Amino acid sequence: MAQVKLTNVKKIYGKDTVAVDEFNLEIADKEFIVFVGPSGCGKSTTLRMIAGLEEISGGTIEIDGVVVNDLQPRDRNIAMVFQNYALYPHLTVFENMAFSLRLKKVPNDIVYEKVTQAAEILGITEYLTRKPRALSGGQRQRVAIGRAMVRDSKVFLMDEPLSNLDAKLRNQMRAEIILLREKIDTTFIYVTHDQTEAMTLGDRIVIMKDGFIQQVGTPTEVFDMPINVFVAEFIGAPKMNIFKTNLICENGKYFVTPYGAKIEVTGKKAELLKEKGIGSKDIILGVRPEHFVLSNANDPKAIPCKIVVNEMMGSELHIHGIEENGDKIIVRIPTITLDDDQRKALTNGSTIYVTFESKVMHFFDADTERNLLY
Amino acid sequence: MTRLTDLEYLKLNKFQALMYKLKLFFFAIPAWFAKLGKGILNFFKNCGLAIKNEIVDIITTFTKGNWAVKLSFLIFGFGNIYYGQILRGLFFFLFEVIFIGYMIVPSGGLHWIGKCNFFKTGETIGTVQGSMKYDPILDTQYWVAGDDSVKVLLYGLLSVVFIIAFIYTWRLQVKQCRICMNITASGKKVRSGKDDMKSLLDDQFHKTLLSLPIAGILLFTVLPIIYMVLIAFTSYDAKHDGYSNLFSWVGLEHFNELFNFGVGGLGLAFGEILSWTLMWSFFATFTNYFLGMFVAIMINKKGIKLKKFWRTVLVMTIAIPQFVSLLYVARLFDATGILGKLLLELNLIPQSMIDANNLSLWSDPTSARILLVIINVWIGIPYMMLMATGILMNIPDDLYESAKIDGASVWQQYMKITLPYMLFVTGPYLLTSFVNNLNNFNVIYLLTNGNPINTQIGTAGGVSVGSTDLLITWLYKMTLNSGDSLYYMASIVGILVFLVVAILSLIVYNVIPSTKNEEDFK
Amino acid sequence: MNKTDNQIKKTGLGAKASKRLGNTVIYIILSVITVIWLFPFFGILLESFRVERPDQVNYLIPKDFGFDNYIKLYKETDFFKWFINTGIMGICTAIFQTLFILMMSYALSRLRFKGRKFLMNFMLVLGMFPGFLTMILIYKVFYELGLTMEMAPVGLIIVYCASSAMGYYVSKGFFDTIPKSLDEAARVDGATRFQVFYKVIMPLSKPIIIYTILMGFMAPWGDFMLASYLIHENSAGMNVAVGMYKWVSKTNLNTHYTMFCAAGVLVAIPVTIVFLCLQKYYVEGVTGGAVKG
Repeated sequence: MAQVKLTNVKKIYGKDTVAVDEFNLEIADKEFIVFVGPSGCGKSTTLRMIAGLEEISGGTIEIDGVVVNDLQPRDRNIAMVFQNYALYPHLTVFENMAFSLRLKKVPNDIVYEKVTQAAEILGITEYLTRKPRALSGGQRQRVAIGRAMVRDSKVFLMDEPLSNLDAKLRNQMRAEIILLREKIDTTFIYVTHDQTEAMTLGDRIVIMKDGFIQQVGTPTEVFDMPINVFVAEFIGAPKMNIFKTNLICENGKYFVTPYGAKIEVTGKKAELLKEKGIGSKDIILGVRPEHFVLSNANDPKAIPCKIVVNEMMGSELHIHGIEENGDKIIVRIPTITLDDDQRKALTNGSTIYVTFESKVMHFFDADTERNLLY
Repeated sequence: MTRLTDLEYLKLNKFQALMYKLKLFFFAIPAWFAKLGKGILNFFKNCGLAIKNEIVDIITTFTKGNWAVKLSFLIFGFGNIYYGQILRGLFFFLFEVIFIGYMIVPSGGLHWIGKCNFFKTGETIGTVQGSMKYDPILDTQYWVAGDDSVKVLLYGLLSVVFIIAFIYTWRLQVKQCRICMNITASGKKVRSGKDDMKSLLDDQFHKTLLSLPIAGILLFTVLPIIYMVLIAFTSYDAKHDGYSNLFSWVGLEHFNELFNFGVGGLGLAFGEILSWTLMWSFFATFTNYFLGMFVAIMINKKGIKLKKFWRTVLVMTIAIPQFVSLLYVARLFDATGILGKLLLELNLIPQSMIDANNLSLWSDPTSARILLVIINVWIGIPYMMLMATGILMNIPDDLYESAKIDGASVWQQYMKITLPYMLFVTGPYLLTSFVNNLNNFNVIYLLTNGNPINTQIGTAGGVSVGSTDLLITWLYKMTLNSGDSLYYMASIVGILVFLVVAILSLIVYNVIPSTKNEEDFK
Repeated sequence: MNKTDNQIKKTGLGAKASKRLGNTVIYIILSVITVIWLFPFFGILLESFRVERPDQVNYLIPKDFGFDNYIKLYKETDFFKWFINTGIMGICTAIFQTLFILMMSYALSRLRFKGRKFLMNFMLVLGMFPGFLTMILIYKVFYELGLTMEMAPVGLIIVYCASSAMGYYVSKGFFDTIPKSLDEAARVDGATRFQVFYKVIMPLSKPIIIYTILMGFMAPWGDFMLASYLIHENSAGMNVAVGMYKWVSKTNLNTHYTMFCAAGVLVAIPVTIVFLCLQKYYVEGVTGGAVKG
């Protein structure tokens, strides 16, 4: 239970390989924060610096107001769950979980109580006497979490804890972590490369790229108002469609012109554009696949696109199409909006017409790739 | 030469590709040497830079330091004590006291260094020659001991090492003192003695672990090697053993012997022995390697039963001390041994030996050499078999399955999958085993003792050289078995052996892939 | 169509037969190998029981069996003194060498400190010098300290152990395979580096510890070069290799040959027993070391 404050944290490997730079973040007490980003973005490095497993090249890290830069991991009062579980193969599950308490020379009855309690919450009581190699992946993951739970630590760090599990188990464990969080009631820092995990678990999400923080915000914030093209594409699946196009300002009205279609920007987005005083210019227009609607050839706002692949996902269709120029478009259509005939018409090679409303548009500067409305 | 792009390279046929690779290899050689030269140059450059930095740092420490820091330039550990690191400070101070005490007492460090006459060609090591004196009362001759050059040189060397250690410690404690000052200035607390002790089990744990092993290596390997190198520049041998006759510095005089390629010349002997040593090492390594792999493949083949039995039979040979089996096997091939007699009766002994009336395989240089390699196979296969078994089991089955589906024969599977995989994984092992064979004392000495005598060379380095002598057995005989005990010669040859091994290793490390990219085959 | 069908059938049958043939050839080769490899052992064993004459003969199976050679060993020679010397050396070397190697390899494999790369390169270069030339100085020093001749075993233990850490490669290779995250997990759990060493890594390192002990124990049994340097023909301080070597010299061979074989059998027994018991670990060490280089 503690705040964590990172100020200008920097990590340089060797002479000039920058892994993390200008990392500023305040994590509130009991907050669940998720670091997310593609591999090599520095998220794990940051976590390991908080844990004390990597030296900090610059800046300070504070836990509960205390600068911990020079403290050993064991003096920071943190718990950590590792990606490959890192269970001690020669110890039973019980001793694995009790390891930290034994090091502190906690009396046996308290160890027993704490470990069994944690085991019960995680549902691994029956495996307590087994060695880790006799457990399945999911069970091992639970032991690893249990080992961190018995610590009563100030901060709970998790480094891609679910990435070694298969898809089904991952979904299940994700739900369990949400439940667990209510029981453990401490500050969580969670690292993942999977945006779904980030969106579902985090109170706030920190999106990183190439060692720099791109955006910090709640899941809704980063989804609705991505700060730049990278964040826009990273959050949400399938990823956002990006069109290089123009924003045209005519008589106080705004239009976008993707692939020859001319769509007027109306409502709130238009007001915001006006407020910011943005004139005609080249922009990058972003539209999420689920925000397309089917239209017809006569609609001036429609973009024609040829179907290449049609994925039937059950509740929805993922249609991968190409526009006349060869650009790819992904469209997500809920199955419930289509009747049988319409669905049958969506064969490979046929052309569909799609359009979108102005409230789902995202405008990015063509050069800086930053969100024009942010 | 022009480098081809990847796509151009793929167009070449097999022969062209091979030629291209060879060309690349040879064209790369100057680059290695350039790299090596550059490396050495850089090393000295960095050394120079480091020394410069140190000096600058020392000066700034002195000018910026407070009085405690300044005083610790003279009194070791003063700063440490001043800033509360009493244990460390006392330790440093004690070191200084011991050092100064040792250096200035009569027959202390300075005394020995003086006696050594370091680098003064022509001067003796040690100054007082022992001699026989006549005792008129007892009417006997008795020995008046003088200096012992061996000891003088050792103490002199130790004193020099001590001085270096002293300078290092001086620098260390001045630096620490300054760090303490900075820490105190920034308002933090310096580490206490208790913290120091604790950190020896934690973030300084490597010091705890390494101190003892490194001390052992410094004392029993580094120091003797430095000593040995020094000996190469002296006249230390049985006649000048340092005790009854002082030995002296001779500079590079004995190195000239290396260019003597006449009969009995060191140059000739070294060349001959080196070429046999390399030949031996090559054959010993590769016969073992391929035959061991072959046996392993046979045992591991699917459908072969009693795998454990075959393996255990071979492993037994490792368990029995080599000298027992080697000496026994050597005698088997003697003229009186069972196999020796058998070969004689079957008329399988080479004609040259019958002419020479020496009826054993050991007495002809060529047959002795061949026999050595064969017996070494007997010794070496089990090791290689074990290792190859382990590696073979690591080759994923699906590689073979996919090769079979692609239509590869057993031989093709071996050439395209097994062998490349083995060579890749065991690259470093091949190098170490080659070097070990260069120094394979046991096999040669116990089997042939270096014999038969090589009449072309005659006596070199004070011992008669045999046709099967390796450099290492030659060295051994030079220092132990011969009456002359030409230690300086042994040292010179030792340095040459080092150079040979170093150059070989350098080349091999540049050629084999597994030292560079470990993940290639995964 | 039919034709190809037939062909497949044909080669199919052929494959089976050729496989059987191949296996038979392999069995024959393996049997020959077995005979060649075991021949010396049975040879030594048989010779050691031969009583009719003590020199080399041109037949394998003795005419008279008996324990005479063994009794002679006990009564007429210092063999058992050598044997005990070597045994003590083996045990001491096993203990100290293992400690040194573990310390060095653990530090190099799992700890990161300034000068680590330098240390490794330094030892690599050091290993290229012909090691036994160090004996020129060591002999002289030990002579002064009284650690040669009959005290040679003590001197030899020091020689074997002192620089043994230079042979850290195999064991470092083993430590390298233990995931780093175990150390990290333990450190986050509150362990010091020392606690990580003895509570987490050591319990996992049984195979390599046993391998190192085994190598340490076996080294003195086979060492001739270094031992002969310090022992200098002093019977009380000999190890088995140096002691038995003179029995097969040209002058002694005719009178000591069967005795040599008997001694050989006795030497082989303890080493073989220890070795066969711990064979599994030895194999792990050899293969692991090769793969990691």
